[in-house]
Amino acid sequence: MWGEIVDFAYWVVVGLFLIGFFGVLTDTNLIKIAIGLNIMEASLLLLLVRLAFSPGDSPPIVSEGILNYADPVPQALTLTAIVIGASTTALLLSFIIKTYKYYGSVDLKEIRRMER
Amino acid sequence: MIRKSVALVILAILGLLVMGGLAELPLPAERMSESVTSRHILSEGVSDTGAVNLVTAVLFDYRGFDTLGEATVIFAAAAGVVLLFFRHDLPTSRLGLSSLAKRSIMVLAPFVFVTGLYIVMFGHVTPGGGFQGGVVWATLTILLCIVYGTAFEWRFINTRTKTLLESLGAIAFILLGLVGIYRGDFFLSNIAAGFRAGVPGELTSGGAIPLLNLAIGLKVAAGLALIFYNMVKKDVG
Amino acid sequence: MHESMLTGILLVFLLVTAVFAVATRYVLHAVLSLSIFGILLSVLFVMYQAPDVAMAEAVVGAGLMTALFVVTISKTTNRDDSA
Repeated sequence: MWGEIVDFAYWVVVGLFLIGFFGVLTDTNLIKIAIGLNIMEASLLLLLVRLAFSPGDSPPIVSEGILNYADPVPQALTLTAIVIGASTTALLLSFIIKTYKYYGSVDLKEIRRMER
Repeated sequence: MIRKSVALVILAILGLLVMGGLAELPLPAERMSESVTSRHILSEGVSDTGAVNLVTAVLFDYRGFDTLGEATVIFAAAAGVVLLFFRHDLPTSRLGLSSLAKRSIMVLAPFVFVTGLYIVMFGHVTPGGGFQGGVVWATLTILLCIVYGTAFEWRFINTRTKTLLESLGAIAFILLGLVGIYRGDFFLSNIAAGFRAGVPGELTSGGAIPLLNLAIGLKVAAGLALIFYNMVKKDVG
Repeated sequence: MHESMLTGILLVFLLVTAVFAVATRYVLHAVLSLSIFGILLSVLFVMYQAPDVAMAEAVVGAGLMTALFVVTISKTTNRDDSA
């Protein structure tokens, strides 16, 4: 079933996704949760760029005498995803700052205790 | 402890599912030979758009409308951050770092600015483009804020300038897109709307792509700098 | 051969920095580890022949995100130990 995945990079993609998800599930600090989300996002960027590449390719900048190029479409999508990820993370961090102003803490346990 | 073990069980199930999904993916070489889009862009991209860098060609020509949507996301994020902190005040600190740091950053800043400009303007010839160069400009303003203190920022590159630059970038992008409709073609069409393709590999090639790069660069730089300065703001009371 | 070895080493270090960023108790250490993670990821993008993406990841992941996270940390700690 998994015989076709010979490249180590795919395993790293799965590993990074699971590590980030573990952080999101178990951490109680909101900033650590944001870091976990960033790692999950980075694993998907790595998957897209790895999918665009097969050994022996050149970067997709056309010059004479080169026949094999990496696929430019997933790379353009990755570029879009990076910039959007940065701006949405900035919005998330501003919400965390606002949460701190309101509760005086960024720890989910303490916030839950105050809510009660 | 219970929380962590439950999380590990969930992760194990998810991991098996994800690996099963990855096993179904086609290998890169197979996918390339099947994908009509990729093959067309690789063989006809340069003659279609005049840009040598195919990633930029995809971003600003084939999927230009997508890039406009992305610029809208950045605008929405910046607007959200500004709305969250609009009651707060920028602390006017004149302290900054030592005078040694201030001197050397003044030597360094023009070079960083020109590097950003190069990355933006040569986006269709070499790796780079509006997004990367725009982020370089944004980090330049962050550097100036850290070294000189926020009073410098307040006097020279204040919020009104950044809002103006961001709106200017967005309006320029849309106007360049409307040129296509005016010439009787689609929104954001490039060579078909009468922009000159030029000699591939030169600065003036690529039709409207360098101008679109500049507009996106201004917009990204102003948007991200706006986000940073609004997060630095202090609670007034 | 050498290229694939370098790629493998970079991938292993990517995993190490990610595990450290999630496992450490100190938030500042996690943020600095995330910055190293971004740099390693951008070198990997160069190895996978995507220079545009590598440039964006280097500037965003190592520069801008670190600045934003550090601002957030300094805003969410007590007044007496923040500048």
